[in-house]
Amino acid sequence: MTALPPSAFAVALSLLPGSTHRRLRALLGGRSPAPDPAEVWRATCERRLLDVRPELVDALGRDARAMTKRWSECAKSIDPHQTWAELQRDAVGVWLFGDDDFPAALTDDPDPPALLFWKGDPSALHRPAAAIVGTRRCTSYGVDVAREFGADLAAAGVAVVSGLALGIDGAAHEGALVGATGGGAPPVAVVGSGLDVVYPTRHRRLWKRVGEAGLLLSEAPPGAIPEAWRFPRRNRILAALSGVVVVVESHERGGSLSTVRAAVERGIPVMAVPGSVRSPSSAGTNRLLVDGVAPATDVTDVLVALALEGVQVSAAQASPRTAAPDSSDLGPVESDLLAAIDWAPTATEAILRRTGLSIVEASSGLVRLEVRGLVRKQGGWWERVGSSRFARERDYTPPA
Amino acid sequence: MIATIPTATLTGVDGRPVTVEVHVSNGLPGFSIVGLPDASCRESRDRVRSALLSSGQGWPMKRVTVNLAPTSLRKGGSGLDLPIAVGLLVANGDLDAEHVEGMAFLGELGLDGSLRRVAGMVPMVEAIAAPIVVVPATSAEEAGLVGRHEVRSTSSLSSLLGALRGSGPWDAAVTTPSSVASVTADPDLADVRGQRLGRWALEIAAAGNHHLLFVGPPGSGKTMLARRLPGLLPDLDRDEALAATRVHSAAGQPLPPGGLIRRPPFRAPHHNASSVSLLGGGTSAMRPGEISLAHNGVLFIDELGEMAASTLDGLRQPLEEGLIRVARARATVAFPARFLLVAAMNPCPCGDGGPPGTCRCSEPARQRYGRRLSGPLLDRFDLRLTVDRPDVADLLGGQPGESSEVVAQRVLGARARATARGVRANADLPGPGLEATVRLQAAAARVLEYKLRVGSLSARGLHRVQRVARTIADLADAPDVTEDHVCAALELRIGLEALEGVA
Repeated sequence: MTALPPSAFAVALSLLPGSTHRRLRALLGGRSPAPDPAEVWRATCERRLLDVRPELVDALGRDARAMTKRWSECAKSIDPHQTWAELQRDAVGVWLFGDDDFPAALTDDPDPPALLFWKGDPSALHRPAAAIVGTRRCTSYGVDVAREFGADLAAAGVAVVSGLALGIDGAAHEGALVGATGGGAPPVAVVGSGLDVVYPTRHRRLWKRVGEAGLLLSEAPPGAIPEAWRFPRRNRILAALSGVVVVVESHERGGSLSTVRAAVERGIPVMAVPGSVRSPSSAGTNRLLVDGVAPATDVTDVLVALALEGVQVSAAQASPRTAAPDSSDLGPVESDLLAAIDWAPTATEAILRRTGLSIVEASSGLVRLEVRGLVRKQGGWWERVGSSRFARERDYTPPA
Repeated sequence: MIATIPTATLTGVDGRPVTVEVHVSNGLPGFSIVGLPDASCRESRDRVRSALLSSGQGWPMKRVTVNLAPTSLRKGGSGLDLPIAVGLLVANGDLDAEHVEGMAFLGELGLDGSLRRVAGMVPMVEAIAAPIVVVPATSAEEAGLVGRHEVRSTSSLSSLLGALRGSGPWDAAVTTPSSVASVTADPDLADVRGQRLGRWALEIAAAGNHHLLFVGPPGSGKTMLARRLPGLLPDLDRDEALAATRVHSAAGQPLPPGGLIRRPPFRAPHHNASSVSLLGGGTSAMRPGEISLAHNGVLFIDELGEMAASTLDGLRQPLEEGLIRVARARATVAFPARFLLVAAMNPCPCGDGGPPGTCRCSEPARQRYGRRLSGPLLDRFDLRLTVDRPDVADLLGGQPGESSEVVAQRVLGARARATARGVRANADLPGPGLEATVRLQAAAARVLEYKLRVGSLSARGLHRVQRVARTIADLADAPDVTEDHVCAALELRIGLEALEGVA
């Protein structure tokens, strides 16, 4: 049997039940020189961990004895050779805390991970990085902004760090993938589950594309299911890797606020994208702005926060602050309709009430506006479209 | 001695002719009924005996055998009480056979000899070949709806015997209403404030028989709107009325005064209704379900998203074929079920989801909710629209909209145009040759082409939008379908992603 590298045993230790990153750090660190993971693993299997290292009784907490007993039993079903072979097969790398290649941004972290699983291109971490996070229950405004920021930041050479969640996270990465083509920075995803457990499943394709174009990172060992407690911990890594955290949309008590807390604790600047004061999806971000967080109204604001204001976003991709499509040559009906539609989703009923048009007139006018790319229908709701760059992916010009 | 009396029994909503044969012979006194009677039919022995004794008739101290022919057919219900009693009297020599010549009997007996109404009078009378049908007084009107027979009635066995022997009168031809159905007028559309889109969708649904789905938060008036749909529908013609009445009669439902259901029925089963109660069936007797009671009328399902998925999918076949075949071990019956489906649902489980991004549900909860409604079922709704809570100004000061009467007139006109095309309503327009019937203008076709190309319209949805656009044009009395009509039809068909909770 070939000799295994030390990290193979660290991986095996991380598969034990209840081996959180703090306990793992205690097992694998705590004295100088750092103990050999292979030795720790052997001691665990032979149930003499606390005999060899009595100082762990404090580090592991009250039920250290019961836990190490349980570990020694569970260790029987874990084969370090096999798990290591599987990681090799899936092209997943492992960074141990204290190794030379461990991400520098996390080495000085107050609460660093004990080990990190990675897949893809590690050079993505050598770029300046910005986290784009937000709610899963977002509006199409949020999706647009997140895509735009993702694309423009990536094009400007900033690695977009996000969590691959539904909503804002996914939109940011979609944009980042667009920006990464043609010399932009590759995207970085920090996920809460094991790298072989795709969550959410709806993002399977996006997950794969990010893994191919950039870097996937996780603290969770392979096979770890996306348990709720993993996500706030994931968020601290996400924040620590970034030079700035941009919150695009967040509800009053959204999960992205835990990323904000982690960033504030680490002294990383936080920015928020302003939203309508009536939109529940912007309640959290608007509250952040009230609390004194800097607003991010376009990508330049973010670049300034990263001290990259000199970097030119390529002209084709730069989105001016107000990129409303041209609406100067509209007929009277269309102008009335456009004026009656908010930038937030508006019910058809409300449009009818505001314009006083008949349903037949209004609906054909709305379709004409839709064809022009000025408005968009989502479910039964209409809203205006800001920048049309990502608004419609399948463009079609009807024959005149 | 032997006597044979024609009568009928009910299978599903169809009557089947039955002959009651009574044989009275010497031997150990006894009374037996053979020929696949069900429990209520077997009990008829005790009712008949008491009724005869209460009516001053003797009980033969002889061996009495009753056979219900054809013997292979299961017979149910208490409607065979009366023919058994009459047959017994004839066989025992208490009544001359010529007095009952050419007569069929149907009715339940009380212990005091009174005659009572039984369910399914209309289809049972339809199945009877004899020229004269004798029924309880309370069922005379219902029996007379068929119109093929001379209907005679009395209210008790003793007066019946008197009438048969010629010593007493039959009841007057027209009797009191068989039951006191609540005679409430359909609620009026003028009560609805605001909701222009919702009102208009109702009008189109009524004119073209397009199935309609309202999606909206609680309190947005979905139910209020849906209840106003029957008031917009035209009266049933005689065939439709008889078909609806037959189902209601078979189910033992109260009938309106006059017996015939002339207005489209409105059925609103609760969303926890079982498959059997909705679709029909049952163990002892095959009873029509709610969808059959809504035949030629409106079936309204509130809280569509709360209904069991399997129950909902049971609606697909009847929606397509206009009838439902219920197969059980004992029998297979087809119930008519051609109804206009109106459904209402919340956009997501929390019900709060107004505009995208506002709902509080977790992602899995929303996916579960969306999964309950299968795509094929949602696809059957030609009209799908979101309704939002009405505007305060509309609620307090708004002008009342048009009344149901005004709208119903337009609906009638649109239906007449559909009839001229050879269909009952535009929803029935056949797929082949649809373009020729719909008569799209070039600009209208371009809009559809655009929608197809950007992927917001499916091939299946295309036909449905065209039919709805045709109805809209009919309501506007327009010969061709214009761009405006198509756009309006698209406006009334929200994408399915709104129901999958993708915000």
